[in-house]
Amino acid sequence: MTTVSFDLIALNVITGFLGSGKTTLLRNLLASDLGHETAVLINEFGEVGIDHLLVGEVAPDTVLLKSGCVCCSIRGELKDALVQLFSRRQKGEVPKFRRVILETTGLADPAPIFATILADPMLQHHFRLGVIVTVVDCFNAALHEQLHPEWTAQVTAADRLILTKRDLVAEQSFEALQKKLQAINPAAVILTGEDVKPQDPLLLTAGLHDAGPEREAERWIQNSRSRPWSKTNDVGVASEHEHSTHARIHSFCLVFDYQINWPAFGLWLSMLLNRHGRNILRVKGILNLSGAEYPVAIHGVQHLVHPPVHLREWPDHDRRSRIVFIVDGLEPETIEQSFKTFCEYLK
Amino acid sequence: MCGLCGFLGTEGDWSTSIGSTLPARQQRLMRIALANRILGFFRLRLDDFQGVSYVLTSPTGRREIVSDFGQLWRVAENLAGCPIDPLDPALLTWLSSIPK
Repeated sequence: MTTVSFDLIALNVITGFLGSGKTTLLRNLLASDLGHETAVLINEFGEVGIDHLLVGEVAPDTVLLKSGCVCCSIRGELKDALVQLFSRRQKGEVPKFRRVILETTGLADPAPIFATILADPMLQHHFRLGVIVTVVDCFNAALHEQLHPEWTAQVTAADRLILTKRDLVAEQSFEALQKKLQAINPAAVILTGEDVKPQDPLLLTAGLHDAGPEREAERWIQNSRSRPWSKTNDVGVASEHEHSTHARIHSFCLVFDYQINWPAFGLWLSMLLNRHGRNILRVKGILNLSGAEYPVAIHGVQHLVHPPVHLREWPDHDRRSRIVFIVDGLEPETIEQSFKTFCEYLK
Repeated sequence: MCGLCGFLGTEGDWSTSIGSTLPARQQRLMRIALANRILGFFRLRLDDFQGVSYVLTSPTGRREIVSDFGQLWRVAENLAGCPIDPLDPALLTWLSSIPK
């Protein structure tokens, strides 16, 4: 008798600019103990899939997405590739992989990948979002930021930021880049390339939707703790970025010491994302909800919000709700005032 | 699925009520009531439709089916003919003036 597994398969994403070291990271991950439970999708720009050939040595079941950049226009192809992989898995044609890694092209904005899973009635029952790893080339980071808006999208979408080519930049520049990345995405874990161990669970198996989401929420809180609560961290004020095209990007954390009414919060955030989703690059947080003993973790990218996750314990002793926003051009005071009004008058 | 109207299942929007002890129907009606406080500013009204969808009505009687709250604001903007912005000070003032 055929058994059908209803486990959700994690879709992990490795993104970053051309030459930043995505394929090297992928090869190392596949060569580790986690590799045998992993299927690979590679999305390359160009007619000849070089990365596909490189990774193919260690992952024979690699699927190449041929249409170039992962964007709205090829959601169908990404869906087809995932469906095909899942079908082969269920038929026993490939091993029962527990996760998929999608290596995106350098110019990809990760947000449409989430939309593909969340919006598709079939995929949403078989796949879930895993960890998003963005590889940042220290040497070319400033150039990438100036020339390509996708760089910011990749950094803000990341759960993990891996800094490569550290040896090619001065220590001062490296520290400045680290600070900048922390300011843009305060909830992400930042690792340097040489410190990355391929078997490190942080890279593939420790996301919010994996077992133990409390630890991931704890990392959000710890990483964001260095940022002043309820205050803006201006990203573009450092002298080397004064003329940056992304100088309007801020991250800030709103903190509320009262319990939040979930229906009111849902209405407020869905309204906010409908109107300003393009400028809300990331939202992450834990909420102390009315009538609930433990918190709920939420996270979203632009217009998309992932299914909220119930945590089985608080990440720390602090029982306040904390929501980290990464926004482009929106004022934190305006968002805070709006949120407070909705919470107070929609009960 | 409803054989007559072809509606599929229940809504899968992220903001669907979570962790509440209230019956699903009651939660649904409460959300509609809260949404109507906001929509009243734009002279729109939201009603339940068979427990699986919603109907949004404009002051001129124009109606649109809304499958879940993920679609609500986009459809509401179309019916209202203006942006629906939670950061709009006029909307916040309106909310503050409604008796709780």
